[in-house]
Amino acid sequence: MQVLIVDDSQIMRKIITGALKKLGINDIVEASNGQEALDVLAKDAANIGLVLMDWNMPTMTGIEAVRKIRAGNNKVPVVMVTTEAEKAKVIEAIKSGANDYLIKPFNPKDIQAKLEKFLQAVLK
Amino acid sequence: MGSTQYRNHPPQAGFDLQQIENKVFSTNPKKWGNYMKAENINPFIESVAETFENMLETTIETGAPVLNDDTKGTPDIIGVIGLSGTAQGIVALKLPVKTALNVVGKMVGMEFRGVDSSIIDGVGELVNIIAGNAKAKFEGHAISLSLPTVVRGSIYRLNNLGDTVWLTIPFKSELGEFALSVSFRPAVVPEKEVAHAGAHSR
Repeated sequence: MQVLIVDDSQIMRKIITGALKKLGINDIVEASNGQEALDVLAKDAANIGLVLMDWNMPTMTGIEAVRKIRAGNNKVPVVMVTTEAEKAKVIEAIKSGANDYLIKPFNPKDIQAKLEKFLQAVLK
Repeated sequence: MGSTQYRNHPPQAGFDLQQIENKVFSTNPKKWGNYMKAENINPFIESVAETFENMLETTIETGAPVLNDDTKGTPDIIGVIGLSGTAQGIVALKLPVKTALNVVGKMVGMEFRGVDSSIIDGVGELVNIIAGNAKAKFEGHAISLSLPTVVRGSIYRLNNLGDTVWLTIPFKSELGEFALSVSFRPAVVPEKEVAHAGAHSR
């Protein structure tokens, strides 16, 4: 199974990739906005075991992408990884279908702790 | 920034900006209004400290804020992001090249020798994280961020919003010196509209 990292910042994708590799996850695909994420899922949904989704991105935001993923009845776990830290945003994301929420700035330990429960399935 | 007085972070509630506030009022109270209060600036100072401590495992020292109507000077790379909603403003993270290389290098665990697309991207992401973390500290507000823009070059002039001022806060760390300039103006919005915006803003 692969992890899909969706973030318009190549640096943030590198940071998250580095944290995942420390957890033994090497099978990673990247997208730079919500639409690209939907395209990846449309092509290869069965192989994506976890999506890490930024919120604010050009072309299509992460929250729009989450709504479309759920509207398509895709149950892949989605963790928002975003600077949007207000309670209202967290509630909006969970109501839209996100499974969990990680707020930037984070350190590698934060991301590892947050993703542990989802990565068991990915590593199978 | 050579003669700037720095203090170790964290100053519990950020800097006491009373002096700055007094200066704002004495300059032109009708024009400048009551925007650059400590309660509106400290979230940004705290956010810089938290971002550096969490993501870069680096402590920072905060210098005394400087008030100016606009800002120009020597920094080479500037990450700029706009705030809108129940407060409007602009946040500009200003880094000399050397600091930018060190900071982005620390973010990804790589050594950079020159400015490339990774450095530009990294500075944009850093100002995005600092502004995002700061805006969450404004209780009762619903503030949205623009996508960040990164400006390169040492000759520039940032114009502030029409009736606000820039407050520039210098910082230093083992990764180098840098500064954050903030122009901030809370909007007067009825309480029920704030609740509405909080529920529906992206």
